[in-house]
Amino acid sequence: MTQPTPQPSDELLVELALAGNQAAFGALVRRYQRRLTAFLGQIVGDMELARELSQEAFIRAWGALDRYDPQYRFSTWLFRIAHNLGIDQLRRRRLSTVSLVRQDAEGEEVELAVVDASKDPLGHFENRELAEAMRAAIAGLRSEYRELVLLRHFAGLSYQDIADLKGMPLGTVKNKLFRAHSVLRRALQEYL
Amino acid sequence: MQADCRTIQERLLEANGDTGSLDAADLRHLEGCAGCRAMAAAERGLERLFERAAPPADPALVERVMAAVSPLRKRRLLAALLPVAASALLALLGAAMMGGVPGGSLLAQLPVASSQAWLTLASAASDWGVAMTAAAGAARLALPPALLVAAVVAALVGLGLIVAATRRWLPVAPWHRGD
Repeated sequence: MTQPTPQPSDELLVELALAGNQAAFGALVRRYQRRLTAFLGQIVGDMELARELSQEAFIRAWGALDRYDPQYRFSTWLFRIAHNLGIDQLRRRRLSTVSLVRQDAEGEEVELAVVDASKDPLGHFENRELAEAMRAAIAGLRSEYRELVLLRHFAGLSYQDIADLKGMPLGTVKNKLFRAHSVLRRALQEYL
Repeated sequence: MQADCRTIQERLLEANGDTGSLDAADLRHLEGCAGCRAMAAAERGLERLFERAAPPADPALVERVMAAVSPLRKRRLLAALLPVAASALLALLGAAMMGGVPGGSLLAQLPVASSQAWLTLASAASDWGVAMTAAAGAARLALPPALLVAAVVAALVGLGLIVAATRRWLPVAPWHRGD
């Protein structure tokens, strides 16, 4: 039986990309594009825009690669760029639109998602009912929880990566994700 | 919920419900705790949902990114060349101040006008080889020791910067395709 070829680490690919190897950067793009687009799709609620922002995030990463600090993981750095792009986009949008918010059970404001079906970040789900349930469950989270859930499950970052990216103590990340998951498990109970 | 349950459920959460990451004591707890077992199963289910939530791969996006990155590489090449050029200029200036190149002797004489040096340079200007020798001599005559030391330092710093800048530039040099 043949052993699967080990994938080169992000750090090695970054090193090769810095030495001018575009193919190595291409490998990083292929490795992260799905997660990055999924993450941005959830932030901006629009898959077309998420693809554009993903592209922009990769281009910015390439442009700033020589300033990347290898003491942090590449994924943390890349998702920080993407996160900032997503937040900038939301801010710009908020300036030109009216925000729809309601209060959750704990009195916190949560934003209502208005979904255009053609741009739906969960549009690839065959089970529309499940997609709707997931969308509602994620949108129903308090913003501070939702962001961590996106970083954990859409960006695929570790708790430590999230703590680094958000500048939060690790214990706070654990605690918030614990609470967020309690809410998600209840909301999606029938699909688990 | 018992204190143990919270600790174990936090571990299960971090492992996306995978019980394989638990130690023997945690596994014993799990065997006897229906709540934690249910939580682990629900977390595994949640993880499966999140895995499905990622959109399919988009090869066009990769192509677009790589097409956009190529011109950036050229810009990086130019940006990397600038320090090389600046360093070369600094080294040249230092060498010129020491009289190592003929034109430089003019610069060397600016701070301290020496009629003897000017005359020497003017008489030899028609011939490049003679001018080089004359300029070096003129500079030696015209330069005060402090300026000469400054010139040597400038030349050495310039040379050091050339080496450093070239090391940064080599990876993006036109002949270094790397792909």
